[in-house]
Amino acid sequence: MHSRRNLLKTVSAGFGYLAFASLANRVKAEEQANLNPLAPKSSHFAPRAKRVIFLCMQGGPSHVDTFDYKPQLAKDHGKRGKYGGTLLKSPWQFRQRGESGLWISDVFPEVAKQADDLCLIRSMQCDQPVHPGAMTQMHTGTAQFIRPSLGAWTLYGLGTENDSLPGFVSLSPPSGTSRNYGSSFLPAIYGGTKVGRSGRSLPRLSRGGGGESVPDIRNPNLSDKQQRRQLDYIQSLNRGKLQREKYHPGVEGVIESYELAFRMQDAMPELMDTSGESEKTRAMYGVNDPRTANFGKQCLLARRFIEAGVRFVEVTHGNWDQHVNLTTDHKARADACDLPIAGLLRDLKQRGLLKDTLVIWGGEFGRTPAAQGGDGRNHNNKGYTTWMAGGGVKGGFSYGATDEHGYEAVDNKCHIHDWHATILHLLGLDHEQLTYRYAGRDFRLTDVHGNVATDILA
Amino acid sequence: MITLRPVLLILLAFAVVPTYGQQLTSDELKFFEAKIRPVLIRECYGCHSNQSGNVRGGLRLDTRELMLIGGSSGPAIVPGDVEESLLFNAIVHEDFVMPPKRKLSESVINDFRKWIAMGAPDPRVNKISEVQSSITDEDIANARENFWAYQSPQKEQPPRVRNTQWPSTSIDNFILARLEQAGIEPAKDAEAYKVLRRLCFDLIGLPPTLQQINYFEAKWKSSPEQAITHVVDSLLKYDQFGERWGRHWLDVARFAESTGREVNHTYPHAWRYRDYVIDSFNQDKPFNQFVREQIAGDLLPAKSDEQWASNLVATTFLAMGPKNVNERNRVQFAADLIDEQIDATTRVFLGTSVACARCHDHKFDAIPQTDYYALAGVFANANTYWGSPPSEFGIFSTAQTRRQSSLLLLPIEDPNPYDPRYSKKELADLRADITSTIAEASQSRRDRAAGKIETQDAVRNRLRTANRLATLSTKLAVVDENGEPHSYCMGVQEKRDPIDVKLLVRGEIDQPAQTIARGFPKVLCATPVRIANDSSGRLEFANWLGSKDHPLTARVMVNRIWQHMIGQGIVTSTENFGVTGQTPSHPDLLDHLAVEFMESGWSVKSLIRQIANSRVYRMSTAYDEQYHEYDPGNALLWRANPKRLDAEAIRDAMLSISGEIDFDRPRGSEVAKAGYLRVRDGSLGDPRANAREVVERAKKNVMNALQNESGSRGPGSSRMNSFRKGMGRLNAGQSQPQIKPNSPNITPRGRANLLMMQRYGRFGMEGATSSQRELIEAAVREATALVGNGLDMEHAKYRSVYLPIVRDQAPRSLDVFDFADASAVTGVRESSNTANQALYMMNNPFVIRQSKGFASRVKQIDGNVSDQIEFLFLLAYARPPTSGESRASEALLRSYGGQARSLSDSTLSVLCQSLFASAEFRYVD
Repeated sequence: MHSRRNLLKTVSAGFGYLAFASLANRVKAEEQANLNPLAPKSSHFAPRAKRVIFLCMQGGPSHVDTFDYKPQLAKDHGKRGKYGGTLLKSPWQFRQRGESGLWISDVFPEVAKQADDLCLIRSMQCDQPVHPGAMTQMHTGTAQFIRPSLGAWTLYGLGTENDSLPGFVSLSPPSGTSRNYGSSFLPAIYGGTKVGRSGRSLPRLSRGGGGESVPDIRNPNLSDKQQRRQLDYIQSLNRGKLQREKYHPGVEGVIESYELAFRMQDAMPELMDTSGESEKTRAMYGVNDPRTANFGKQCLLARRFIEAGVRFVEVTHGNWDQHVNLTTDHKARADACDLPIAGLLRDLKQRGLLKDTLVIWGGEFGRTPAAQGGDGRNHNNKGYTTWMAGGGVKGGFSYGATDEHGYEAVDNKCHIHDWHATILHLLGLDHEQLTYRYAGRDFRLTDVHGNVATDILA
Repeated sequence: MITLRPVLLILLAFAVVPTYGQQLTSDELKFFEAKIRPVLIRECYGCHSNQSGNVRGGLRLDTRELMLIGGSSGPAIVPGDVEESLLFNAIVHEDFVMPPKRKLSESVINDFRKWIAMGAPDPRVNKISEVQSSITDEDIANARENFWAYQSPQKEQPPRVRNTQWPSTSIDNFILARLEQAGIEPAKDAEAYKVLRRLCFDLIGLPPTLQQINYFEAKWKSSPEQAITHVVDSLLKYDQFGERWGRHWLDVARFAESTGREVNHTYPHAWRYRDYVIDSFNQDKPFNQFVREQIAGDLLPAKSDEQWASNLVATTFLAMGPKNVNERNRVQFAADLIDEQIDATTRVFLGTSVACARCHDHKFDAIPQTDYYALAGVFANANTYWGSPPSEFGIFSTAQTRRQSSLLLLPIEDPNPYDPRYSKKELADLRADITSTIAEASQSRRDRAAGKIETQDAVRNRLRTANRLATLSTKLAVVDENGEPHSYCMGVQEKRDPIDVKLLVRGEIDQPAQTIARGFPKVLCATPVRIANDSSGRLEFANWLGSKDHPLTARVMVNRIWQHMIGQGIVTSTENFGVTGQTPSHPDLLDHLAVEFMESGWSVKSLIRQIANSRVYRMSTAYDEQYHEYDPGNALLWRANPKRLDAEAIRDAMLSISGEIDFDRPRGSEVAKAGYLRVRDGSLGDPRANAREVVERAKKNVMNALQNESGSRGPGSSRMNSFRKGMGRLNAGQSQPQIKPNSPNITPRGRANLLMMQRYGRFGMEGATSSQRELIEAAVREATALVGNGLDMEHAKYRSVYLPIVRDQAPRSLDVFDFADASAVTGVRESSNTANQALYMMNNPFVIRQSKGFASRVKQIDGNVSDQIEFLFLLAYARPPTSGESRASEALLRSYGGQARSLSDSTLSVLCQSLFASAEFRYVD
């Protein structure tokens, strides 16, 4: 039958390494993909990006205050908007940035300096006007059903490059959002691995006192060497069973999981430990400034994961939901992530990673140009802005447009399905071909929708 | 936005929108166009219309339907009733203040009064079209006649087989006949220990004990049949049977103790349903009765109050679905709630997805959209109770919990140990607190209306007072007037005067079309079921589900039982018996079992007994390359399916083998203990508040202890203060102002205590007496459990089925091994093998503790190391080790420095843990 299984029978040690070594040869990729669902797979066509960092802005950052310049909104300030309400000009100045002259507001001064890397999509639309629904649709394409996440589809389509780490990592996701990084009907191995717990406010009281970012990553009693001995023994039991049974994908899965876990014990803490990064790099991400430390560290981690070969990393920055206190709170949210995001882009660039890493920034929707109260904006799913950078998109480019005030996308509309189709396309995956058969029908991320926004491709 | 208006019993009326049948007169039209429409556009649309995209308070005023639906507080307009029309309430600045900044002129207000009084004539009516189904009656009749699942199951004669020696039961004839057709030999019988292991895990979810192993092995030698029969009969009598099979049911019933979604609120009384399910399986309650109770328990006759209570608890099934309590629109919420009930009910009992037809005709099955709304009518006539009862002051909603509901009072006194009791003084304090908070809220509203305070301050005030009121009211509501606990459950109650509902175009609440008569999916009704005018039809629906003519109920349940015993269903898509589902691998067997199931009085235990005694169940998992190529999915059952144990079985097996398991059923649950609150940060309630509460309690205890020891009656207040500050350090992670011991307002004694407390705050125990130490340690443990891993329940020793099931927050021990998503109907769980699981088995403190327990059991064995190793393998695998395994085990022990006769516990526990971690432990082959 399979050569790998024969190897297993004859070789008694180093199973995991051996298995992955053979996979790395990419010989008979199909067959191997059947054996190891995480092995790298070839894409449908040449990819422009090999991996993704998704900067998820939970709460709905206001496009008309950040990346969607609306001079008419400033002119019509105080007048009644086309859809009612009183128009509210942005409290922040917009300026042209970089050689491309993209208009970006002063809310994001550092990100604005990277304007020539950004590809703004200023004509986003989704179907959901409320947070949970829109958030779920942004991740899975639908808010009605539980469906696999974008990251899970990506991992299913491409496999991963590092056998010591999970292929899809979600950093400190908000609690109760597991479906947004879940695998749903895709095999569980494609689901996002949660790293870090969001908003746990009392880490010092937690067991071990260390505020462990990955549960059970350390054995409290055994040294590495002792544990390896234990593991060798466990694996000898497992291999014995596998030999007796001849064919048992479950037992093979167990064997692989222990090898990955054992390596993760070393790889994860090492990866999570950013103390070895230079002071300069840490400063780039704002790790030392209390205002930016939290998100900065996560962005730095994202880079480290990507660098280590993880396929898809999601980082969440929350609380953009300013119905009131737009001026102070929106600015505070931006301040917490502006430098880290810019630092991430710069760092990826200087390491030569940006060219094949797709960085995506966006919230579940935008906000209304009309005021709510005196200093707030409501949800707006009819028109908003997301951006991409790196991995095969045009830099310093603006795609699509909303109407004069920013209410509604009018030009080159990019529905969330189109957005998904475009992301998959950049990864070399045809969103219509990337299907999974479940409950009697072939499912895709984009259901029956989705058009690739070819204009943004570099 | 939030409303402070106490809403006594929230109406859960379905979207019953009276249509405006008559043509408007020209006068009416003129009045609306001249006096009303311009004001609406000018003053209201900005914040309340589809047009503007602003729907503050969930309120839209674009069309007549939307005005009647209203927003989060209720209908904006009640035609003819000025008092009940909230829009009018708002423009006269009664409870609401609209427009927010100024009052409309007296003449405009009079126009609105007049307009509402004349019936609110409004030409802005969606054109109500009759939605024509694309699925014709003929299509339905066709499907009914031709699709297998829509025909009543027929009793099938077991087919004849060539190898007449093989079958033990009629089941085996069905399987063998197909195998013989394909030229396949069934696998040989599995070894005795494997069969025993299967039986124990499948029936009670626990590994076999040594006595069971010895007994079974001996009996098997003379007669495998008798050995199996005997063990099966005895296992079926165990209470652990219900805990095992009840949990399977809880998977499909999407059992959970919280609402899930963004604002995750607890259901403190959901545990009653859990226990009801476990008891029902243990009693071998006829399955059709079990069905009836869950759908219409409130409508069934009851011989006693106990039975009545049990029937009410059963209807929790309809009430415990996931909910978006933050939904702004009450009509939308009600529609979603009914949709969830329909979805769960039809997929759980009928293996059919009817909810697809909410927005359009079912794309594949012969279920037109009209059938959905016929069924929606049945459910729409029930009120669903899931929240917290109102106090004498009402129910209060907050910014996060816009939707509210009461609970059902049980007809019997049945408080659980966590139900609170209050003293007279506590009661009075609560009432006083609520009263003053209400006054504060009204004052703040008046101040805002008068422009005395800033809008933002007013908003903040309202948020704060609303949260406070909701908390206080919830506290007060759970006791009677003497402070004694009331016993509540979740469930449903019928409304008076049943109504039909309207079909909603695309499922949108503001797009009603024709009224649909209540009824059931036509494709499933061989003869139309009649619903009396004065009946909602829910009882009829429950009876219909549990009737012998029903084509699906028995098949679907039989298939579930088969799946759990054999490892895969005869229909592998357990929730989808429709056109897009999988066709049955053995349709004749499915029918045979379904009919026998019904003839046995719908006895789940009988069916399990029959399957367990079959030859099929006894087959080995032996692999055959040739057969595998022919039938890779093992659809024909040429061998047994290897099964990975589920999360509960893995945890319970470890507890059982370590000897630490507690078989007593805990009454209530952690969620019941916590009460009605929002789950945040992986803990029940506000984690900081929880920690504070624990610290407060600890402080009192330590304080008392100190006082008792010193016998002093020192100045209490300053001592308390110093303790408060000192213990405040327990709130690690919170920025706590450092207390300077030299601070002038602390007495010397207080200072000394403070210094000690600061030490304790750092968990240093120097200088403390042993009793102080115990108190402090207990407090720290409790705080740690609450804050660190509250819902993981790592210290619990009871069976896994009793762990708290909060949506999206399943305990790690369950979550890591593919626990069912508590928000979804889950007939088949995943069975993955992930690195996360490996980490859990290698490093988790619970696993390590059970390994230690296991090791100390092994240590008690008289004999040498190889005897101990044999004992260890018997407990973990139900078999002795192979010679290779013995050698490897001894080598492992040696490598950890263990001497033959003096193995240290920790060395032995490494070995024990290894067996827990191994593949064989988690697989039943």
